[in-house]
Amino acid sequence: MPPIAVVCQDVDLKGDITIGPGTVVHPKAAIFALVGPIVIGAGCIIEEAVIIVNRRKDIMRIGDNNLFEIGCRVECPSIGDFNTISTRARVHNTVRMTNHCVVGAQCLVVPAEDETLDEYTCIYGPAADRRTWSGRGQVQEADLRTKHGEYLREMLPKFNRLRRSDGA
Amino acid sequence: MWPSIQYYCPCLSSANTLTPPPPVLASSSASFHSLHNLYFCEECDAVRCNRCVSVEVSGYYCPNCLFEVPSASVRAEKNRCARNCFSCPICRATLSVVASDPPDDGTGRPVTPLNNVGEAPYLLYCNYCRWDSSEVGITFEKPTGLAAQLQKYEDSAPESLEYERLKEHFEPFLRASSLSSSTHLLPPTSHHLHTSSATAAASAALSRDIPGISKYNPVARSRSGRDRTTNKDEMPEYKSRVEVGLFGQLGSGGDDADVELLRYTETAGEIAKLEQRWGNSWTTSLRMSELRPLRIPLHSKVSKRCPACRHILIKPEQKAQSVRYKIKLAAANYLPALSVGFPQTQAAKRAAGKGADSRNAGVMLAGITNNAFRVALTNPLYDPIQVRLSPQRVTDGRGFQVSLPLTPFSIGAFAEAWEYDDDEDMFDMEDDELGLEAGRGSRDKDARGRAKNVGVLERRANVTVVGGEVNVHKSYRGQVKFNMLVSYTYRSDDPLPSEDGAGTPSRAVVKTPEVKTFSFYTVVDLGPVLSKDDSESMQQV
Repeated sequence: MPPIAVVCQDVDLKGDITIGPGTVVHPKAAIFALVGPIVIGAGCIIEEAVIIVNRRKDIMRIGDNNLFEIGCRVECPSIGDFNTISTRARVHNTVRMTNHCVVGAQCLVVPAEDETLDEYTCIYGPAADRRTWSGRGQVQEADLRTKHGEYLREMLPKFNRLRRSDGA
Repeated sequence: MWPSIQYYCPCLSSANTLTPPPPVLASSSASFHSLHNLYFCEECDAVRCNRCVSVEVSGYYCPNCLFEVPSASVRAEKNRCARNCFSCPICRATLSVVASDPPDDGTGRPVTPLNNVGEAPYLLYCNYCRWDSSEVGITFEKPTGLAAQLQKYEDSAPESLEYERLKEHFEPFLRASSLSSSTHLLPPTSHHLHTSSATAAASAALSRDIPGISKYNPVARSRSGRDRTTNKDEMPEYKSRVEVGLFGQLGSGGDDADVELLRYTETAGEIAKLEQRWGNSWTTSLRMSELRPLRIPLHSKVSKRCPACRHILIKPEQKAQSVRYKIKLAAANYLPALSVGFPQTQAAKRAAGKGADSRNAGVMLAGITNNAFRVALTNPLYDPIQVRLSPQRVTDGRGFQVSLPLTPFSIGAFAEAWEYDDDEDMFDMEDDELGLEAGRGSRDKDARGRAKNVGVLERRANVTVVGGEVNVHKSYRGQVKFNMLVSYTYRSDDPLPSEDGAGTPSRAVVKTPEVKTFSFYTVVDLGPVLSKDDSESMQQV
């Protein structure tokens, strides 16, 4: 049986939102499906003050095992699996993310034209430089992500009120 | 930038004059420092700045692992951490050691959770930009002593070998020349009575004979000339390991190779940025993909000494983890802290309300006799002090005149913060009772009527605020900036003067000799003068 999702009570959810099994949403996160719906996959971690917005009519699909760190803001129309968006980063709605991408802390990814980030793209530094990750260590990172999720699913309910499955 | 107040250190002034240079000179800024940058030598009873203190390294440490490196091994380790600390060649972040992934079973996901024990080979991995050392072919069999494992790469670099060889070649010659130079260089240096061995060594190194360049010394010229010829004969000819120009083929990129590389470059990202190559000891490849991890450069802790009496002014604790000081004679603990500001009068409001754009325009108005300003003095001592301010006259009559209270006034003693709460009421009451020109009411009245801004305005805890005025001449343009001598008298802790007294309970009478006076110069910058036309045009805008 897959683990149930943990969504804290103090989150701001608007619109049609689907949250997959094992996903953790910390308090003070905001997920706004302003026009189209948002579908979040399994095992994602959405930390405090994260803002996820869908302004398009299409479904915004977020894959599995993604990590959204504190205070990041994401408007991508689609996100694959195993991506990390670091603290206070901003990803604009022109960017589609594939898998295993990393957006570094406080990076601005706001291209004017539509763009799809290749797999293993790593964006880092104040100038939002890009490089391609060799992928070494991804097994360990995936394992760490799993443990991170397990820990949060165990600890968050001890200190926060949860939303009970309201049709999610 | 303004209003500001800075303290004078007389170290740059010639002879024994204590008066600072006129503040209108641009060069005067070198003599003035903010209070927190200054030290105070108790022995000399003088202010010392970073420019005049002598600096000694008291220890080296790695900023990452905080290991204290003994100074003997710093040179051998080439000033970099010889343990496990590396910085990322791409983004300068600290690298961490990670194990490799277990062999892929094809699905890409581990079926069972991994245990913490990783598998060899180990990699250096940047958590920030995801660079890892296998990209340049560096892997490790065990996760410890990485620098030692990399040492062989480093030492086998052709530049490093060449450098070692050069050092070897010159060593006997350098030893001989340092011996000879130290013998005939000692007399000139010996008049610095208090130079430490380190400074002596440094000055000896600076004035050492450079082979092939004759020394500017008429007496020694003939000898050094002879030396030169003999040296030339003594010096065996140096043969480099590799032919000149061969470095280009050694992977470190010669000119031709660089040109070739640049010719076929498609994006700027392929070329390593200057800051990525800056910290390297040897020339490295221009290719971003060939940059190698660097051992993290060591940092040093320094202590500073008074230039005159050699007493230590500031000395950090030896331990790298500690941010405390064993000795710290900061001037802020001895001199009253002065800060200057403007009262919330109309002039100040006018300037403040204009926004950032007109912030530089100035508050002082030309042709107005009572441009008010405030100086707040804070006493760091545990005893009350008497302060006298004497602004230096500006010689040019068409400039500006500064009026400040010239009579001495007192500043309360410094007490620990918790005492303030109880005392505050008392101080206020005292002010009222004493009938000082303090209190908000009188100030508001002053602002409206004929200003009576000069004098002690406020007194609380260990802070006293005095008001001053500047009379700016109509035609004056420029900065209102003047030197000010601050003298303060304090009760001396030094028991010596009173020791010869009778030692009777009537010491209270003899209290006066225990009082000492110290004076220092400051420069007060009240910003540029705003002419009346300017201010009117600004108001229209």
